[in-house]
Amino acid sequence: MKGVLLSGGTGSRLRPITHTGPKQLVPVANKPVIEYAIEDLKEAGITDIGVVLGNKGREEIQEILGDGSKFNVDITYIIQGNPLGLAHAAGCARDFIGDDDFVMYLGDNILKEGITDLVESFRANDHGAGIALQEVDNPQQFGIADINESGSVKGLVEKPEDPPTNLALIGMYVFSPAVFDVIDDLEPSWRGELEITDAIQQLLDNGQAIDSHLVTGWWKDTGKPEDILEANRLVLEDGQRAIEGEVGDNAEIDGRVKLAESAAIESGAVVRGPVSIAEGTRVKSGTYIGPYTSIGPSCTLENIHIENTVVIGDSTITASGRIVDSLLGQGANVESSDDLLPKGRRLVVGENSQLKL
Amino acid sequence: MRIITHTCPVCGTVVAANELESNRVMKCPGLNCEEVLRFGDLSEEAREHFIKTQEQYQI
Repeated sequence: MKGVLLSGGTGSRLRPITHTGPKQLVPVANKPVIEYAIEDLKEAGITDIGVVLGNKGREEIQEILGDGSKFNVDITYIIQGNPLGLAHAAGCARDFIGDDDFVMYLGDNILKEGITDLVESFRANDHGAGIALQEVDNPQQFGIADINESGSVKGLVEKPEDPPTNLALIGMYVFSPAVFDVIDDLEPSWRGELEITDAIQQLLDNGQAIDSHLVTGWWKDTGKPEDILEANRLVLEDGQRAIEGEVGDNAEIDGRVKLAESAAIESGAVVRGPVSIAEGTRVKSGTYIGPYTSIGPSCTLENIHIENTVVIGDSTITASGRIVDSLLGQGANVESSDDLLPKGRRLVVGENSQLKL
Repeated sequence: MRIITHTCPVCGTVVAANELESNRVMKCPGLNCEEVLRFGDLSEEAREHFIKTQEQYQI
């Protein structure tokens, strides 16, 4: 079995963070989102992975993932170009897949329990496809599957007014190569895309069995800033304490704090986990880092109180205020204006930035 | 919808025909690959099919 990891899209809901990079590289607990997908595929025994790239962030993703050797997988890049739909992305991978079955995984998704159960459930019988489902409270806003008692899919319906179940498709699929012939016969939808739900429905109409797997652990699509923060909370919640860096005599560290080897928490700083602090970062006196915060590499923090926040990296944060529920992009600095006249906040804010002062 | 691709003979990167057609001649998008890819690398039949149905490949 092979893997197809979809890494296109414009990341428009994550602007301004995605003005300078693809959404799949935004870090959650100091690791790019896409690396969680690579790990899940590898854990499921899939080491031959095609990474589908769109028009944005091609070089950056290739630089991070390389040929896959640092993850002990083999990566082939597939350039989709225009975002013509998930089924088009799958179709672009046809030569890479050949006669194998394959998992299709959205590169900006994180799944607590991985995909091993989904893959094993698909393999247990002669299925044309397997889909991952999760119970949702608002099925009218999702693609919904109707299934029978054995878990086989009876039908799919997109954003139904009268949903047959509350089981939503969450963007993890397993396919047999039969899907490629179905994709060949698809026509673009009203939005100009080849829809993967149309391909699965066509497999059903052709008499193929479609397996379903109910995901009970958490799943996050990290498409929006609040999703990044929630994913960061969920991943940190499952983390372990690991203090590898330098800790000052009078520094206070409580709970599950991960401190990288070259990072430091100096005397007079307080850190309460779950927290992740990456390499090269210094947490200086007067700083409080509260739960569910990830501080990326090469940052300096002093006097700030910060909580439930993701700082991507290369930031200087030295204002004597409180930052909560925030996402700070690469190289964003937050410094004190206390000594400046006239009094007031001084902002250099990029397009699509959001500030609540 | 038929999906046409071309594989770089040097680095193995797969490139969709819509990408090749929009550039006509391009450096392979595989990182550090210097190979030059052309829409003309596709078979004549594939090129004709793509051009006839080109509007399907644009968003």
